[in-house]
Amino acid sequence: MEKIVSESTSSTSADQVAVKTVSEIAMSLKDVAVSFNGKTAVRDATFDVAKNKVTSLIGPSGSGKTTLLRGLNRLHDLTPGAKVSGTILLEGTDIYRGDITVTELRTRVGMVFQRPNPFPTMSIYDNVVSGLRFNGIKKKSLLDEVAEKSLRDAALWESVENRLKVSAGNLSGGEQQRLCIARALALEPEVLLMDEPTSALDPIATLRIEELMSTLKERVTIIIVTHNMQQAARISDDCAFLLMGEDRAGELIEFDTTDKIFNNPADPRTLDYTLGRFG
Amino acid sequence: MTIIDDLIPQPESTSTRQAIQRAVHSHRARRVAISRVMMVLCGVALVLTAIPLVLLIIQLVSRGASQLDATFFTKLPQSPTLSSPNDVGGVSNSIIGTIALTVYASIMAIPLGVLTGVYLAESRSKFASTLRVIAQTMAGAPSILMGLFGFTLIVKYFQVGFSAIAGSFALAVLMLPVIALSTELAVRTVPDTLREAGLALGAKPHKVSLKVVIPSAISGIVTGCLLAVARAVGETAPVLLTVGGGYINQWRPLDPVSALPLTIYSGAKSEWPAQRVQVWGIALVLVAFVFVLSLSARIWAARKQKRNS
Repeated sequence: MEKIVSESTSSTSADQVAVKTVSEIAMSLKDVAVSFNGKTAVRDATFDVAKNKVTSLIGPSGSGKTTLLRGLNRLHDLTPGAKVSGTILLEGTDIYRGDITVTELRTRVGMVFQRPNPFPTMSIYDNVVSGLRFNGIKKKSLLDEVAEKSLRDAALWESVENRLKVSAGNLSGGEQQRLCIARALALEPEVLLMDEPTSALDPIATLRIEELMSTLKERVTIIIVTHNMQQAARISDDCAFLLMGEDRAGELIEFDTTDKIFNNPADPRTLDYTLGRFG
Repeated sequence: MTIIDDLIPQPESTSTRQAIQRAVHSHRARRVAISRVMMVLCGVALVLTAIPLVLLIIQLVSRGASQLDATFFTKLPQSPTLSSPNDVGGVSNSIIGTIALTVYASIMAIPLGVLTGVYLAESRSKFASTLRVIAQTMAGAPSILMGLFGFTLIVKYFQVGFSAIAGSFALAVLMLPVIALSTELAVRTVPDTLREAGLALGAKPHKVSLKVVIPSAISGIVTGCLLAVARAVGETAPVLLTVGGGYINQWRPLDPVSALPLTIYSGAKSEWPAQRVQVWGIALVLVAFVFVLSLSARIWAARKQKRNS
């Protein structure tokens, strides 16, 4: 495992030592905490998400990875009693207090969920363009163009080209997840949040999604929550390690390049976790 | 290595295992006996439930089927005379009246009921929970109340008089809570992951309800509507006080109409045997109508379910 890490990240680790300039940062978190009805679920999240890189959030169950991720596109907004504090900047704009609506934010920060969740009543085509239609785009030629491009980007075009009008429920689990990726990509987001996108998939489908992520990061910044440390080591450039504190609230222990987190972490707890001593 | 050793379960000692197996074995005979007795009890309960239903249907078919001829469906009712006591004519006016009442009531109740149901399911406000209690109370209220309400409001207060619209209003009030509550139930079964998928694509909440949630819940919503319609078709009390009756084929909303349940009510009290027998035919038609509606609701829901899974 360590061998894979050093091979895949050694080339990137050198230029990450240098201080990042603002234009290289897609999202910036400062003292971010999420609480539900006054009970803190995750806190102390301060790190910068580098543009066109894959940033992974790792840590054992209950460490607040998913809760933190869902704060990044304001999915907690509709949960009664949920409160997000601290500052989250998207290209310098405060996503909770700045000049940006929640719908605009969500078109710029897309999301792929743990279980594939294509709309069951819609065809493959309708699923892909649903985000555009939700936002009032009706022009057929544009929808057609985006549908093909997004499906190609999600490596799904070849297998569904001839059955675009078929219900999305007919696809396999892996295909459904790639459809969900295509659906998110259709809005041309700057950031793509992925919440354990392969945890419900078999190893081959998982590998295809991982390959996809390495090509996608050329045009979209990816933040991924994963339980699978090999996956974090294989695909991510930077890595945030979270752990549940004494009061059962998750907190950020360490943020660094994936290479450092896996091979030479600053905190001994990080090493214990990545070596599989707990979690 | 010590961690791995801990994870492998140690074999139970032989004596414990034997004790467990003996206990399991000695209990088996008792459990099988109890299971048999319970199965027989369930079977008896099923038969007891089925007997009145089967008797009713046998009665309906054996007495009613002979009444269903062309005259029954196409002719107006006739008053029998001493010289021709069997000339009772048909019930075309009641059939047309019932269809008109059901259509008007559905037009009023279905859109309103479905939207109310979606609101009940998607809103967490105090108003929504109050509304739910009201709907639940209304769904259990005796239907004669709806008749009185329609009579007081439409027939008297708005001075429309006995009319199809008054009757369908009373039926709509009866259908509303049924539709709203079944819609709420159907909408609640739509998984939150689909709502989140919609929201995460930048859709406004109302768009998510309209384009994602309602289509996903449509089979439950339609089933609820069809069952509400089936119930309205057979209701007597709300139409008794509102529609006025009449002996012509007509469906204009502001004029009085007849209805099948109403004709059963009056026909059953008739002193002419032929009219009392005709009532069985009407009852059979009503039951067949409800049966077809319920059956199509089930088939439709099952087919939709299959397509989506």
